[in-house]
Amino acid sequence: MKIEIQITSAPITAPKLTEEFSGSAGAVAEFSGNVRDLENGQKISALEYDAYSPMAENQMRQILESLAEKHPCLVVRVIHRIGVIPVGETAIYVGIIGKHRGEAFALLAEFMNRLKQDVPIWKIGARLCAEHQPQHSKNLQGSSNILRAAAGSSTTAALSSLDEAITTISAHCQPLPGVRVNFSEAAGRVLSETVCATEDFPACERSTRDGFAILRDDISETFSIMDTLHAADWKPRQLKLGEAVRVATGASLPCENLRVVMQENVERTGDSIEIVRRDESLNIRQRGEEMRVGTMVLATGAKLNAGALALLATIGHTQPLVNPKLRVLHLTTGDEIISPDQKPQPGQIRDSNSILIRTLLEQFQCDVIQKHLPEDFDEAKRTIETFNLQPSTFNLLLVSGGASVGDKDFTHPLLEWLGFEIIFNRVNIRPGAPLIFGVAGPRVAFGLPGNPLSHFVVFHFAVATALALLSGGTAPKFLRGKLASKLDDASCPRETLWPAQAEGGALQPLPWASSGDVTCLAMTNTLLRVPANCASLAAGAEIDFLPADF
Amino acid sequence: MAMRFLLFAQVKDAVGAAGLDLQISGSPDAAELWRTLIAAEPKLAAFQSSTRLARNGEYADAKTIFSDNDEVALIPPVSGG
Repeated sequence: MKIEIQITSAPITAPKLTEEFSGSAGAVAEFSGNVRDLENGQKISALEYDAYSPMAENQMRQILESLAEKHPCLVVRVIHRIGVIPVGETAIYVGIIGKHRGEAFALLAEFMNRLKQDVPIWKIGARLCAEHQPQHSKNLQGSSNILRAAAGSSTTAALSSLDEAITTISAHCQPLPGVRVNFSEAAGRVLSETVCATEDFPACERSTRDGFAILRDDISETFSIMDTLHAADWKPRQLKLGEAVRVATGASLPCENLRVVMQENVERTGDSIEIVRRDESLNIRQRGEEMRVGTMVLATGAKLNAGALALLATIGHTQPLVNPKLRVLHLTTGDEIISPDQKPQPGQIRDSNSILIRTLLEQFQCDVIQKHLPEDFDEAKRTIETFNLQPSTFNLLLVSGGASVGDKDFTHPLLEWLGFEIIFNRVNIRPGAPLIFGVAGPRVAFGLPGNPLSHFVVFHFAVATALALLSGGTAPKFLRGKLASKLDDASCPRETLWPAQAEGGALQPLPWASSGDVTCLAMTNTLLRVPANCASLAAGAEIDFLPADF
Repeated sequence: MAMRFLLFAQVKDAVGAAGLDLQISGSPDAAELWRTLIAAEPKLAAFQSSTRLARNGEYADAKTIFSDNDEVALIPPVSGG
């Protein structure tokens, strides 16, 4: 029996058994084992495999040789893929050529059973599925995105990459059930249903020009004007040869099979016209030309902007099903924080995070409750109880400050006390590394690093992703652009989301000194994704960026 | 003499390395290798009951004797296919 074994990290693309056994080979049995979209009950987008390749090949060969004694076949080819394998792609291919189907089937089935017992190949991780995959998940081969399924692993991953953080957040944020609202209150909300046209639009043929409607194939030279139709008129009549009707732009045409001759192309004498120039165009908007009854005009997930609302108005869909307003609880911490209308004593600073977060949240149509907590953990807990800030009544919880590991940084225990499971507590990024993410059923929580620039950065890649997905929309996407000027970095070992100003299509990096830099923040409308260990980027260099202009 | 152990999957994640170099004396069997492994890396105790040892690409059994030129691998339960 001829045995071919291959362990590869390349995709397995429809291998064909092309051996010259056409005379004796009565059976060709092929099996592809593909990556399914569910692993341990969780939606995934990929699996990662590892192998002890020399031994795995050796084991497969021994298994096949021993099985060949019981089920002799002519050829066996096995290809096992390792590395990251996206859902739907093939992890293992087994092709067998035999004399009869009996041996081929038996060999195939027994080989697969033995493989799963003895061949040193492992699924070492699953990539959790984001319902709306961020666009930059293109670097699927990067194992940094893989959530390791380590034995006895703690649920708290110590350090996430930016991609991994976004993927993890996305996996935990499911759209909430929709509510019906009047379309006049629906601006900025996300549609939770598919909307179809209930009638043809336009409902009848309309003129696109000021001119004269005549029969489409009428070659008369002069025409009698029978009537005049304005945009609002509805006066059906069957035109005859030599008859014309004066029509305004937008007027409903009186019958079918017409053309409209532009008024510039006729000469009028009293109640008759003569066509002086003919052209091919009909100058008619056909019935249902824009939408036919039943065609989908807006899909689930569409953001109801001005144009979408105009469309809903056009078709009379005045009670759309949209995402509910998200309820957000924002807790601030730190005894050094005072109200912005007060004068700080030494050691005190004005609270800029509250207005920053409130303003950013309002772009997402959230209902926001904000509360300042005392720095003592027990007092903070009492405050939450006193004000009855039940986290179960909020969709999203944000805690500002206290995300580091100092004595008074109680965000982590606070979130756990409130019933959240901490999914990660650090992201390998600057600014904003000490970001905490927790979940409690459908609710999610973020512990935001203390200063305003970190808040801004973390909001745009993490909180905005959660808000968009909880609303049923799509997560913010990184786009590709060009630097307007040279970017000098101190070669940071972490990825950086660098404040910048997008103007006229070019990205101008802004100088910033520390993660507390608010003067820079005031000009920022874009975040540049600067790779780790990148000393500088030349003007004109291409770079990923995240719009941050709301 | 130093012996190189290859680690995979859960074991690799638990130890945080793909290999371990440990001092071995004499001609140990599997039980003695496990004692050495666990002494050096106590986390491995949790994997002993489910993990097989392989010597030069072949599963070892209780009678297998190892020597310093062998490639030894710890094979936790496999999950290929």
